[in-house]
Amino acid sequence: MIKHVILIAMLLAIYAVFTVSLQDLEQIYQTSADYFREFGVDQTGSNNLVTAILLDYRLFDSLFEAGILLIAVSGIIWISKHDIEEKNARFMLDKFKTPDLFVTFSRLVYPLMLAFGFYIIINGHVSPGGGFQGGAIVATAILILYYIDADKETNIGMIVTVEKFLYLTILIIASLSIFTRGTFFTNVFPYETSSTSTQVIYLVTLNILIGFKVALGLWAIFTAFLKEGR
Amino acid sequence: MDPMLTFLVILIGMYGLSTSKNIIKSVFSVTIIESGVILLFLNLGNWQGGSIPIINGAADLIADPLPQALMITTIVIGSTVTALALMLCIKVFHHYGTVEWREILRRGEGK
Repeated sequence: MIKHVILIAMLLAIYAVFTVSLQDLEQIYQTSADYFREFGVDQTGSNNLVTAILLDYRLFDSLFEAGILLIAVSGIIWISKHDIEEKNARFMLDKFKTPDLFVTFSRLVYPLMLAFGFYIIINGHVSPGGGFQGGAIVATAILILYYIDADKETNIGMIVTVEKFLYLTILIIASLSIFTRGTFFTNVFPYETSSTSTQVIYLVTLNILIGFKVALGLWAIFTAFLKEGR
Repeated sequence: MDPMLTFLVILIGMYGLSTSKNIIKSVFSVTIIESGVILLFLNLGNWQGGSIPIINGAADLIADPLPQALMITTIVIGSTVTALALMLCIKVFHHYGTVEWREILRRGEGK
């Protein structure tokens, strides 16, 4: 009991310190989005400024984000490895216990979700979305397949191998700008000669690659959990 | 003010992390802290108000896109780290037969 009181008092002290430190937020946080609003579209070709930051200004961050996703997937699969070699994972749910209504609606919703995911990925530079978000939606659509087809078998090793190759492709495409612009990890097309519509090609390509990579990674994670819970 | 409220979420997560006796509840507490951090950063980027950071016409004031781009990183990494922690949790359960902190510590000392 006394420990709880001390703990709550400490947390309240932290809260007080935070409140005091944020008293003058206007002086702390002055950098509004003026720079991005003025130059963002022109420099990157992306109407969506978040995508502009993710794929151009701070591509280095995004690359390591994708890398951490790959490392985590590899770790999960390594941890869940059994002594007996099991190549395929089958769905653990009993087919007869899944409600028919759920299966029917999954069949109805599955193509819509897939199409919506691709829409989010491809339109990442003009509307809210991008590779990471769309990849998560595509992965969710793929996971619904397991409800539709309970006997579906998946080879996790294959998924992770494809994901690694996709990551290498992303790294190579991101590094190509050393030949055209002279710096790593920015748009491939040179800034002076290419128009906005040309730069969009690079954004869409990278968004599609990242989207497929994230979808495969999340699919591998889910399949590893299914294999574990069987 | 909004950033203060989001910091309360972080504190709730810290309280859960300090008092939970179950490994899965600890993992969920970490997730709550992460949600609080995400909310805090999104609030800091948009505390002045303003529209979404997508340039289609003439927008006077837009939210700062930099915290939003950083928070995508946080969400992706947070979800994968949660998955990794839960997979470790499954392994611990297979090994010890329980996911209670005290029980696992007691058995670890006994060996």
